[in-house]
Order: sequence, then C-alpha cells, then structure tokens
Amino acid sequence: MLSTDEKTTAPHRPAPVVTASTPPRRPGGLARRRRLTGLALAAIPLALYGAVVLIPLAQSVRYSFYSWDGVGAATWVGLRNYASFATDPVLRSTVGHVLVLVVFFSVLPIVLGLLSAALLARGRSRGMAVYRWIFFLPQVLTSVVVALVFRRIYALDGPLNSVLQAVGLGSLARAWLADFTWALPALGLVGTWATFGFCMVLFISGTTAINPELYEAARMDGAGPVREFFCVTLPGLRGQVAIAVTLTVTASLRTFDLVWVTTRGGPGTSTLTPAVALYRAAFQNPQVGLAAAIGVTMAVLCLLIAVVVTRTAERD
Amino acid sequence: MKRSGEVVVNQVVLGVMAVLVLAPVVVFLLTALSPDISGRPALTQLTWGNFVEAWHVADLGRAMGVSLTISVCAVAGQLLLALLGGFAFGVLGVTGEKVLFPVLLLGMMISTEAIIVPLYFQFRDVGLVGTLPGILLIHLGMGVPFGVFWLRAAFRALPRSVFEAAELDGAGPLTTLRLLGAPMVRPAIYTLALLSFMWTWNDYFLSLVFLQGDLQPATVALGSFQGRYTTQINLLAAAGLIVAAPVLGLYVLFQRRFIAGMLAGSIKE
Repeated sequence: MLSTDEKTTAPHRPAPVVTASTPPRRPGGLARRRRLTGLALAAIPLALYGAVVLIPLAQSVRYSFYSWDGVGAATWVGLRNYASFATDPVLRSTVGHVLVLVVFFSVLPIVLGLLSAALLARGRSRGMAVYRWIFFLPQVLTSVVVALVFRRIYALDGPLNSVLQAVGLGSLARAWLADFTWALPALGLVGTWATFGFCMVLFISGTTAINPELYEAARMDGAGPVREFFCVTLPGLRGQVAIAVTLTVTASLRTFDLVWVTTRGGPGTSTLTPAVALYRAAFQNPQVGLAAAIGVTMAVLCLLIAVVVTRTAERD
Repeated sequence: MKRSGEVVVNQVVLGVMAVLVLAPVVVFLLTALSPDISGRPALTQLTWGNFVEAWHVADLGRAMGVSLTISVCAVAGQLLLALLGGFAFGVLGVTGEKVLFPVLLLGMMISTEAIIVPLYFQFRDVGLVGTLPGILLIHLGMGVPFGVFWLRAAFRALPRSVFEAAELDGAGPLTTLRLLGAPMVRPAIYTLALLSFMWTWNDYFLSLVFLQGDLQPATVALGSFQGRYTTQINLLAAAGLIVAAPVLGLYVLFQRRFIAGMLAGSIKE
C-alpha cells in the first residue's frame, strides 16, 4: 500500500533506499511508485504541451462555430464557417490550388525519387555522402531564403528568362510569378526542387534493406528491369513511399512561407493556399471563426492523410 | 564490364540530380556576389563587400541577435523538457501512460495552423503577443511531443539493468537522470539540439504572427526587407545568405546527425 505522502513525492526527493537485504516484496507497489515519480517528472512537459497545443486545439474547434471580428461580441453561426469551403468561391479555389501543388510537391518528387532509386545499382555508390549532403540541402535551407532564391530565378530579368532567350525561346519569357496561369505551377516546381532529394535519399536507403535474394529470384524468372522494379523494388519500398506521401501531401496542404514571401496569394487569388487564407482571415480582415475553421479542416485532413496512408501501406 | 557500366549510370543519375539541386543555390550565391544592383553574375568581380553592406542596410545584427536568443533559449528549454519527459516515459514509466503517450504522439501530427488562431487571441489578452517569452512558450510547448518521443526511444535502447543498479544504490530519479541517463543518451541529445535549433531558427509563420518591430527575428526581417528593397537584388541575396548561414554552417559540420535525425524523425510513427 502506498501512503498518500509517498504519492506526492517531490521529484527532487531521492527514492528510498532499497537494499539487497529487502527484496522487493511488492514488485507491483515499487513499479507503481516509480510510475508516479515518472508522472511527476513528465508533468512539466505535459502541462506545457497541454497549455500550448491541446487547449488551443479545443478552442479552435469552438471558435470555428462562431462569427467573430476579434474585438466585439461573437455570434454562434453553427457550421456556416465550414460551409464557406463550398459557398465562398475564393476559399473553394484554394482546394484546387492544393491539388495542383500536390502534383508538384508529392507526385513529381516521388516519381523522380523512385526512378533514380531504380536506376541506381543497389549497394554503395562512390561519393554517396557528398550527394546525400547536396540532396538534403533544400531541407535545411531557411524557407524564406528558398522563396527569395526562386523569386530571383523567376523574375522578369532573372536567370530563367535569360536561359530561355539564350536558347531562342525568348517569346516564352515572362514575369513568371506575376502570371495568372504560370504562377502556381512555378511555385509548385519550387516544392519539387525542395523535396525530390529527400525522397531520393529515403528510397535509396530503403533499397539497401531489400533482400538481394529477391532480385536473384526475379532474374532467374527472367524478369527484365521494369518487371524487377514493379515486383521487387516498389513493394520493398512501400513503407518509405508511405512516409514520403504523408509528408509531401501534408506539406502541400500547409504551404505558407513560400507563397507569402513571393506572391501573397496573387496575382489575384491564383496562388492562394488554405494557410494564406487562414492568415488573412485571422490577422488582416478579421473573420476569426472562419480562420479557425480553416485551421481545423487542415488539421483533420493532415490527420486523415497520415492515417489512411499508413493503413494502406500496412495492409498486405 | 557490366559493373563499370553500372558505375557510369550511377554517377550520371546522381550527378544530374545534384546539379539540379545546386544550380539555383549557386546562381543565388553569384547574385549575392555581384557588383551590379540587378544581380547579374560577374565571376571576375566577386564583391564580398555586399555581405557587409547588406548586414547594415537590412539591420541584420539586431534581427540575428533576436533569432539567436530565441533559438538558444528554445533549444535549452526543449532539451530539458525532453530529458524529463523522455526519462519518465522511457525509464520510469508514467501513471496513465497508455493514454498520455498516444495523446503526446498526436501532437507530432497537429499542425501550427490548427492552434494558431486561439493561441494568438489568448496570448493577446494576457499581453504575451510581441514578447520573447510568448514565442518561447509556444516553441517549447510545440516541441515537447517530438523531443519526448525522441529521447524516450534513446532511453529505451539502453539496458534496464543500469538504472536498476542506480536505484538499488539509492540514487533518486533526478540524480540518475543527470549523472547516468543524460550522459548515456548524449548522441540523441546532440541530434535533438541540432534539429530543434534548425526548426526554431528557420521558423517564419509563428514569428510573423507573434513578433513585430524590433523583435522581428531574421526570417521575418528578411521577408519584410525583400518587400521594401526591390531595387538592390545583390544586397537582398547577400542578406538571404547571411540569414541562412548559421544553420548551413551547422549542417556542414554535422551533416550525418542532421540527415540521420531527419530521416529517423520522418519515420516517427
């Protein structure tokens, strides 16, 4: 039995001495005691996490049912904020933009990554450490700086147009990020650039874990490189592909820094993403309830994507 | 014969990919070194003075100081919280962990967007918006799930007998953590420190919302500098590279830890 005094053991108080002569008569009691100490230690990080993440999360849900300008009184509007995704054409357009971004942030990098993993012979390549460093570079580069780099590249007098002019395609040159048609794909390609190296490293490290006998067997059965890829490599990389899909789709859904620094959602609303719409609604023309609804929807989608993808990958 | 063919294919694939990644960065670097305000690359006239000028024009000394303060405090606090939580969940066990740990893991999947709106208005009401303690609290709270998850895994990889022996010797949990546990998971601590520094330094969204004026960290200052300063492209690029430099420097020094940490961190579920 534990006394109440033991339950409130302060973390700094040393645990009572347990000598060899007093074997734990009640191992359950000892473990329970240890777990209470554990709770006391974990209480600080847990409390902070609860205050900064869990409580605001619950409040987000509550906010999302109200119409509030951030100052005056809030009025209950039920699900109207969520309905805006269907009724408000600008907000609705962000969904389409995300789908375009998914192609560039997710589909292209994963296909490129798989392609290079398939082309590379298994085992170590010369200089792999250096290549890995290069491929991971976009992951550590400050997002604002990435945005600046590509703002420069896409500028009217920037390197991309210079190259186009040099190869005689000068008629295609334009201010890419100010173009209603091209701004979104141009930003998408930034995502492709930032992600494909990560996917590649992930997949290459995955192929080294595939049992070489499977390749032997495939060759014995007369499988060519293409069938070998679909029958051995791709199934072997299922876990890694699931991770890449989850991370990249979530990233395209959450795109903010890149758009905010380069186009602010423009020209017009042609590059508006849900996160930018949230920022505008929360902090520029306060429709706080709507902003909360966007945030909650994004969080639910991220969670759903993670669960569905992981489930699908685990199913055999 | 076939082997050397494979080697050639490998090097070509890797080389092409590497050039694709590096080209934009190299162009940007040349822009930063250009003597011309339009940023036209000039290999014969590398103007290193651009960095000095950008530092002054963009007021980077102040902004980098703010970033450094936030990042160092966030890393220190995060390590402390992660050690406490990781040791509790990984070694001692925690009452109610069957519920608490999944709830904690959930935090790794909750995006900033889901909490930022109430967080802003609550913090505004208690006067924490636009203050360093305010943003630090948020960084710390949001960093708890990954930090605890990361060090819990490190602690669980250690042999249990070590801690049982310490307990038999009468060492209290905090003493055990400080003298025995923490030194044994030192590699995991270093990796966590690097990742957490990078995430805090590179943060833009939170800082944009919560910090204004003189408290703008480097990323936000750079963002507003580029809005005001559209005529001197070379200085803008130089300022960008200065802001990226601290994390890049750490990445050069500790690439293995960075890459291993990010790969392992992405496979967290």
